[in-house]
Amino acid sequence: MSVQRKGPWATTVRVLTYALLVGVAAIVIFPFIVALSTSMKRPDDIFTYPPSLVPKQPVTVPASSLGLEGEPLPVFGFPDRDGQYALVKTDVPLAEFRVLADDRPVTLAPDAGTKTDDVVQVDVDGTLEEKPVYLIEVDGEEVEAYRVRLTVGGLFQSVDDPDDTVLSLVNTPTPAREFGPRLENYSEVVTEKQLGRSLTNTLLVTMGVVGGQILTSILGGYAFARIQFRGRATLFLMYLGTVMIPFVVLIIPLFQLMLQLDWRDNLVALIVPFVFSAYGTFLMRQFFIGIPKEIEEAALIDGASRSRILWKVMVPLARPAIATLATFGFLYAWNSFFWPLVIINSGNPESRVLSLALSTLGGRSSTDTNLVFAGAIIAMAPPILVFLFAQRYFVENSASSGMK
Amino acid sequence: MARVTFNSVSKVYKDGPKAVDDLNLEIGDGEFMVLVGPSGCGKSTALRMIAGLEEVSEGTLTIGDRVVNDVPPGDRDIAMVFQNYALYPHMTVRQNIGFALEVAKLPKREIAERVESAAALLGLTDYLERLPKALSGGQRQRVAMGRAIVRSPQVFLMDEPLSNLDAKLRVQMRSEIIQLQARLGTTMVYVTHDQVEAMTMGHRVAVMRRGVLQQVAPPQELYTHPANLFVAAFIGSPAMNLITVGVTVDGDAVHLDLAGQRLGVPTAALERYPGLRALHGGQAILGVRPEHFAMHGDVDVPEDRVISLTTLLAESMGAEVHIHGIIDTPPPTIDVVDVVGDDVEQLARQGTKVIARVDGVHSVGMGDEVRLAIRMHLVHFFDTITGAPLR
Repeated sequence: MSVQRKGPWATTVRVLTYALLVGVAAIVIFPFIVALSTSMKRPDDIFTYPPSLVPKQPVTVPASSLGLEGEPLPVFGFPDRDGQYALVKTDVPLAEFRVLADDRPVTLAPDAGTKTDDVVQVDVDGTLEEKPVYLIEVDGEEVEAYRVRLTVGGLFQSVDDPDDTVLSLVNTPTPAREFGPRLENYSEVVTEKQLGRSLTNTLLVTMGVVGGQILTSILGGYAFARIQFRGRATLFLMYLGTVMIPFVVLIIPLFQLMLQLDWRDNLVALIVPFVFSAYGTFLMRQFFIGIPKEIEEAALIDGASRSRILWKVMVPLARPAIATLATFGFLYAWNSFFWPLVIINSGNPESRVLSLALSTLGGRSSTDTNLVFAGAIIAMAPPILVFLFAQRYFVENSASSGMK
Repeated sequence: MARVTFNSVSKVYKDGPKAVDDLNLEIGDGEFMVLVGPSGCGKSTALRMIAGLEEVSEGTLTIGDRVVNDVPPGDRDIAMVFQNYALYPHMTVRQNIGFALEVAKLPKREIAERVESAAALLGLTDYLERLPKALSGGQRQRVAMGRAIVRSPQVFLMDEPLSNLDAKLRVQMRSEIIQLQARLGTTMVYVTHDQVEAMTMGHRVAVMRRGVLQQVAPPQELYTHPANLFVAAFIGSPAMNLITVGVTVDGDAVHLDLAGQRLGVPTAALERYPGLRALHGGQAILGVRPEHFAMHGDVDVPEDRVISLTTLLAESMGAEVHIHGIIDTPPPTIDVVDVVGDDVEQLARQGTKVIARVDGVHSVGMGDEVRLAIRMHLVHFFDTITGAPLR
């Protein structure tokens, strides 16, 4: 590391630079984090307000821990009380009162309170009604209140203290939630939405395309780099020129070709047209040209044949270029959407690839937002892994290591 | 082990000049032959023709008793060491050395044995499992050598193998290669542009220029009996001083006019260069090696063997002093620029540059006027037009 500029101004600049970089990185990575989080949420957790990046699940306690029997009990929290309360009993009759002094709502057992002879005028939906006044006990004090209605609610019991019970309307407390990713989203999207089949198809297609591209690019690149033949330069220019033709232009002729070969709705149609890569051939040619001729000549003198020189000497040296080519080919094949959309019948889940499956998943069953995102994560993960694995080849030194 | 014979071999590149022009050269069995010359002289092309990396355009090339014009490199039973070593970067030292044997499908055990004995010979045993990038320049050089000797080929070919090494290592490897060749007794063809390597290494040296062979001779003979002006100027460092002189024949005596200074030519020199006598009133090129100068007084010579020179630059080497000076006469017009360098053109207007090598005890300063004796019995004479020696 070289010597860096020092002093307060330089430090400020450095801090600001890092802050900016971190900020931009956060912006870039945020959608991915949202997708990851949503892919692990329960359906009822996705649209909660305020939104949370952490997937949550309702808290329950086993009934036995409260001395009861049966299913695990959901846990709630009251806004005006500390601690957590389990809903031990539902459909409990109760009375809802309102304190005269401060209009505070209080729920008690239906027979609670002492009715007095006094009445109070209450505004119910715009009309004044007379209601009898009750004396009820709130927090150890006797206060005047009127009864709004008799209804049913739940009996809540403190998780920590069995004697601390609350009678309340069920929708008054908020359900307690804790961190709880729902990993079943992934298995569900694979099995129920037939994403498994699409995944296999995409893998097959990708392997075919990448393998084919590497093979043809090595052979073509080597020929263009090292074998002298008539018209080599012209042929190379023409081949390279195909890079300039946008794929959209090729769709109709390619489609007709596939029809004539009877490859419509067939995975072969996703592989064969893409195993020839002008870009890859160019990449390999440039790399082969960069390898010193003497290495090949040495191998020639050592008695090696052309093919042996290619596979045992040149190809091992070209590993960084091959890794680059494989990565680009992988990304292209894995993410390709338009051509599969054209050539694969939408009603045929057997030949569907991941990108197609994902689009139908999003379109048709958009209620399963969590499943859509789980599928998206499944589709995103392999390219990211491939890139992480291959990037060390990008930075690896080229084959100059044995030379001066 | 085998002879290598060039029989009227030429190499012509498409739309290009003749890289090698009518080369006739016989390299004996077990001989260490050095091909030397300035860059572009065709020495590497000649070597690559032996290797089979270049087609022979005309003539026949023989290795042993076999005409190899159409034999691919792998079938010629030769081994080559390249300037940049051309090691396989992805293979360990062991795999590098053993590659040729592996290609030849030798049994694994034999490969291992031969690789190990070659490595032992070169002191590479501890490095067998390393990759070339983990080796120093000298070690890579040795691996390249090991790759050559492991095959026990009929001929070793070396294309400037030491030019990528630093000076000290070069000296060391030079002697190692000489000893290796002596021990193995294999025919060796060694290409270099460095005339120190040429002089010290070869049994015989072939000097080439512009595709044409100039002279083949043992090193000492090249030095003492150069076949022409080119060889005279190319061999030796610092190079031979070439000065245009006027010739006066006066009965038996011959005098030279060196920019106004008169020099007598002794009989010994006239016996070696009798052609000088025919040039009365004309000009010749006087060739004086730097060491054939001496400080006046160091040697006992008649007064007409002494010239005076103004010192332009004095380089003290310890054992000797190199005195640079200018003699006020136009330099030889014959084209030796590709040997001496472009600066000759620069100096042409001012005079002929000379370098004298005198004993290190003298202290000479810039601008000093020195009196230099010339060992005239050792000097050479060449024709001003053809560059041929006046023998």
